[in-house]
Amino acid sequence: MKRFVYPIAALALMTASAFTFIASQDWKINDDYSIKFASPDPSGTFAGLKGAVAFDENDLDASKFDVTIDVATINTGNGMKNNHAKSAKWFDAEKFPTIGFKSTTIAKTATGYAATGKLKIHGVTKDFVLPFTYQKTDNGGLFTSSFEINRLDYNVNTEEPGHGAASFKVDISVPVSKP
Amino acid sequence: MFKRIFYWGLSAGVLSTVAGILYDRIYFFAMGADYSRLINAGSLAGINLLSCLLAASGFWLMTKQFGNKGELTFNFAFTILSFGSIIVPISATLPLDVAYPELFPGLAVPMHFFPAMAWYTLRPLFYDIPGPE
Repeated sequence: MKRFVYPIAALALMTASAFTFIASQDWKINDDYSIKFASPDPSGTFAGLKGAVAFDENDLDASKFDVTIDVATINTGNGMKNNHAKSAKWFDAEKFPTIGFKSTTIAKTATGYAATGKLKIHGVTKDFVLPFTYQKTDNGGLFTSSFEINRLDYNVNTEEPGHGAASFKVDISVPVSKP
Repeated sequence: MFKRIFYWGLSAGVLSTVAGILYDRIYFFAMGADYSRLINAGSLAGINLLSCLLAASGFWLMTKQFGNKGELTFNFAFTILSFGSIIVPISATLPLDVAYPELFPGLAVPMHFFPAMAWYTLRPLFYDIPGPE
């Protein structure tokens, strides 16, 4: 009987340890999200946000974002500008249909959180720190983020740096709920 | 004389409003794009009546100023202004929650010619006012 003590203890320990790992909460992105960009000319929105959002305030190591937006959904409020923005000269939506962000680490900051990862726009991938805040709501949570981005860093119409704005303020609001 | 020109402008305004409303409905059913927040019966009536009454004032002024050449001058001006005004819907930035902004010029641009077309269409009814010699 004694010889079973250690195997049983080991099994019990392994079984118990399996339950100590709690996966970070996966969230479903609600339809009423908004991705707005603003500059003197132009301003507008993107849509088609999808991907995986795993976030737990108490387990940032297991939290991660892997999301994309659909470049073809760009809306500046003007049809001709929309077509122009999707063309090869600008975002080249046919060749680079999505803009993606994939986090590697998420850390707490003085104002909220910062997700460090890779941002891919127009086929150019760069390290990017996405500042964001998170608020719990009745049905889930609300992520908000606000940052500046320069299109020239991602080779978006570098031939005409002065054609329209180069720097854009981006405001993102993503309500999430439990799947 | 101004009274008859006023009625001409008013009639043209009503006609172009009716044409605008019909075209708006046809466009909506054909394209499925809803711009009723921006263009509707009320806004069409307002802008068409205003345009045609302004046109009537312009016509009266020009015929008074230029006599027999007044109508020709006015027609040129009205047509050029109608053409020039299409830059407004082409360059307009719609509210971002309005879907399919690329289809908006297809609705609004033709409407910019309706007041002038209605004005010219009703010309025979008012033929005896500074008409050709």
